[in-house]
Amino acid sequence: MSNHQPASIATIPEFLAHALELEYESAERYRELAGNLAVHNNPEIAELFDYLSRMSDLHAQEVEARAQGIVLPQIPPWDFKWAAGGSPEANAAAQDDDLNYLMTPIQALHLALHNEIRGRDFYAQVAAGSPDAEVRQLAAEMVEEENEHAALLEDRLAKIDPTRAEPVEDLDPPNMPE
Amino acid sequence: MLQESHTGQPPRLSIAITGSGGSGAVTTGSILLAAVARAGFYGLMTRSAGPQIRGGESAAMVRFGPTPVNAMDDRFDILVALDWLNISRFLDEIPLDGSSLILTDPAGGAVPPAILASGAQVVALPLKAMADAVAGGRLNMAALGAAGAMAGLPLAALEIEARATLGKKSASVADAAVACLQAGYAAAPGKPLVEIPGTERWNMSGNEASGLGALRGGIRFVAAYPITPATEMLEWLAPRLEKVGGGLLQAEDELASVNMIIGGSFGGVPSLTATSGPGLSLMMEGLGLAVASETPIVVANVMRGGPSTGIPTKSEQSDLNIALYGFHGDAPHLVLAATDIRDCVFTTQWAVRLAEHLQTVAIVLTDQALGQSRTICPPPAHFPEALPRLVAEVGDEPYRRYTLTESGVSPMALPGQAGGMYTADGLEHNPRGTPSSMAKDHLAQSEKRQRKLTDFDYGHYWAEISGAGPIALVTWGSATGAVVEAAERLTAAGQPTRAIALRLIAPLRHADLAQALAGAEAILVVEQNQGAQLFHYLHAEQALPAGARSLARPGPLPLRPGDIAAAALARPAASPNQEH
Amino acid sequence: MEAATSTPALKAKDYKSDINPIWCPGCGDFGVLAAMSKAAAYLQLPKERLAMVSGIGCSSRLPAYIDSYGFHGIHGRSLAIAAGLKAARPDLTVVVSGGDGDGFSIGGNHFLHACRRNMDLTYIVMDNEVYGMTKGQASPTTQPDWTRSKLTPRGTGVRRFQPTALALAAGASFIARGFTGDPSDLTRLIVQAIQHPGFAFLHVLSPCQTYQPEQKDWKHLVHPNAAEATDDPVEAARRIQMDDGMSLGLLYAQELPSWQPPHLSSATLPEIEAEFQL
Repeated sequence: MSNHQPASIATIPEFLAHALELEYESAERYRELAGNLAVHNNPEIAELFDYLSRMSDLHAQEVEARAQGIVLPQIPPWDFKWAAGGSPEANAAAQDDDLNYLMTPIQALHLALHNEIRGRDFYAQVAAGSPDAEVRQLAAEMVEEENEHAALLEDRLAKIDPTRAEPVEDLDPPNMPE
Repeated sequence: MLQESHTGQPPRLSIAITGSGGSGAVTTGSILLAAVARAGFYGLMTRSAGPQIRGGESAAMVRFGPTPVNAMDDRFDILVALDWLNISRFLDEIPLDGSSLILTDPAGGAVPPAILASGAQVVALPLKAMADAVAGGRLNMAALGAAGAMAGLPLAALEIEARATLGKKSASVADAAVACLQAGYAAAPGKPLVEIPGTERWNMSGNEASGLGALRGGIRFVAAYPITPATEMLEWLAPRLEKVGGGLLQAEDELASVNMIIGGSFGGVPSLTATSGPGLSLMMEGLGLAVASETPIVVANVMRGGPSTGIPTKSEQSDLNIALYGFHGDAPHLVLAATDIRDCVFTTQWAVRLAEHLQTVAIVLTDQALGQSRTICPPPAHFPEALPRLVAEVGDEPYRRYTLTESGVSPMALPGQAGGMYTADGLEHNPRGTPSSMAKDHLAQSEKRQRKLTDFDYGHYWAEISGAGPIALVTWGSATGAVVEAAERLTAAGQPTRAIALRLIAPLRHADLAQALAGAEAILVVEQNQGAQLFHYLHAEQALPAGARSLARPGPLPLRPGDIAAAALARPAASPNQEH
Repeated sequence: MEAATSTPALKAKDYKSDINPIWCPGCGDFGVLAAMSKAAAYLQLPKERLAMVSGIGCSSRLPAYIDSYGFHGIHGRSLAIAAGLKAARPDLTVVVSGGDGDGFSIGGNHFLHACRRNMDLTYIVMDNEVYGMTKGQASPTTQPDWTRSKLTPRGTGVRRFQPTALALAAGASFIARGFTGDPSDLTRLIVQAIQHPGFAFLHVLSPCQTYQPEQKDWKHLVHPNAAEATDDPVEAARRIQMDDGMSLGLLYAQELPSWQPPHLSSATLPEIEAEFQL
């Protein structure tokens, strides 16, 4: 299983390649969830995931802007230095416990928050451990940004009726399409 | 003794060779047929065998004459009995009468009473002694020499063909065979026939002919599982497909083979499988997929006695129902039937072209009587039209695999074409190919799959029609030869008769058939199965008047021209054949 | 493994079609979709020369979600369709996908013969130990005491099908196991499988949220193979016998003869027809 040390990221191009991949993956994962919840007739959550994917797109654009003019290494998908499993903000195994077609906004936002914290933790590990001072500094900035993203999500969470923590009871049995 | 035995018919001679395992009946028949061809004649050889791999009884039936032969006669002129073991198993299949001759060696045992009861004359020759006099001599070659002399064939033709067949083993085997031939030929009564200047003729079996038709049609991929009596088609195709840049995959079962050819055809390579009844049953699920996904494929089904394992080595026309109706769902497709061995080339080629052009399943029905029989025939006709698969021209527009067109045929993208990517699906789909359970999509797609077949102009190839007259004989497949001969005999006897052999059975050409039947006062539908399958199909399609009658009889006994003619003349009320 | 090159022409998301999967939220199969698209991007497979073939079942929906040529066939027959396609079109990269019911039950015979035929195909089986599409019946890999299906209320009572053991016995030349919860390594395994010149069998543990919710625990149960891949079938057999079914990675790879028609083109049709002429 992939288990690389984020702290071993030693150059700005390598770091930016990771940051870009993280945001691309995050955006892609949210888009997938948005589409999937739309298929399952949960438009509220589909819309929320769609919003989150657009947020990740914006973050990716910010990273792209920073990477302007820098040649980034092409890293095979399995050689990214994530702490474990996969891209921090799109880790299916970490998320699947909460996924449900009747999921509530609170669950969805918790899932997003969890992702942001994982992303922040990744940057924090780089900020703390990279042998390169420039990388450490850039990573520290990214930690701040992820904290801002997390704060935004927490704001949204606070505005939601707390009685909607759990999905309503599923009255329809699974379908048999084939 | 080649003489006209039926009014209005060219002179023909029928010889049956029977023997138990090891006696070489089929080899003898093959050499006889080749000698017939060498002497300038046309001929037909059918085979009948027991179920044993080796050592079983077998029979070869040869009929020849100066014009093409597509059916066995009502009776045989000569029975060559290499021995009498298990002859009872062939009694039904080899009718003899008072003018028949039985060539046999008394040393091999007395002629069984059941045979003598026919009134046939016995020609007794010391065949075994002749063979024993030659080192390595074989009785069957002495018998072939004698039979050849009785038939009036030139000795040289027999010698050349014996050498061609047996010389592959060794020169001494061929020498011994020729010595036996000469001894038998000298001992037998006979008047040499006048040799005919040879016109261009081919020697081929039905299974070989089907294989050639497949290649002519453009088939370059075959996947199949061995099954009697279709295997020889595959054996013929395997090396030849490779030579023309294709390939044959021996599948693990028929479930695999049909899906393999669906895969090959999806890849853009015209693809075929060959099988027989039980294999066709196994393929049905895959055939539904081919229809739904509009993937062109061809299934050559060589029928045998059924149901179940039935009589694998003998013929019957009893898979028409499954070919027509075996599919699940509404699954429009093509069912074609070759009318004789030579036509196996043409019909299979046409079937390939139609399947490719209409993006559908074509089932080509032949049977053991065609597939494992051998003919000396004129070179087979080519289907003259190209009828290519419509390949999509992909451009800027998003590609829609199942787009609704006027003809119902949607241009098909092939892997490798950028911009044509789609996922073929057995699920109902919308024009783009995306799975859909919506009523309107099912309606539109079902309608297009039907319309592309029913609206297509099949031209005059849908049937072989011969003769004219108020009696109409309607048939299909291997029964055609006997039906046409029956019509000719009836016409010659003052009962003008037409014969209509359907080559395209589904979709039925209603208007064409109605025109072909116009003015018919008596209609008899002739086929070799118990259930009168074509007769019922034509009635279900409302293609027959109420008074039409059926002559339907299960295999393996071939339908004889005389039986058919008699049934055609029988008064409806008195006819034992009026089952329906 | 790193190389400073320009951005690849095709990204993983370019290999995804615009069709939204019908899979349940949280389905493991999403991980295969992600890994497949990443693997294709890593290999920069030309989309029009990639063919995804499948049978029937949840996981068999995969071809529609990849932007390539695809064939969503019938239950159990994906390997047959793929074999025919590859035989006819050796220039294509053919990836077959399906589930445990599709591949090991109704398609079991094709699985055996695909292994021994060793055509250059990649076969990804998403194993969730249940028939999902037909509402949760036991599959060949279901635990014998699993009682939640009304069809087998006392459990199947039948020992589980051993996919890797069967593949090895049938002559597969590449055997690996992945887990949808580890998409990075799954991507690497798919890349290796596609690059393998022969039949590559990739057994993927893909949890079913709906019918096998206990499979959420798989992420705690999986573990890497204890050793590097072997090319020795005896050693592979030994490891498979000791396997708890949750070990991940490439288990066995060997180059073995691969079946493919020779496509000779050594004769013309008239030359072939001449053999019939007298």
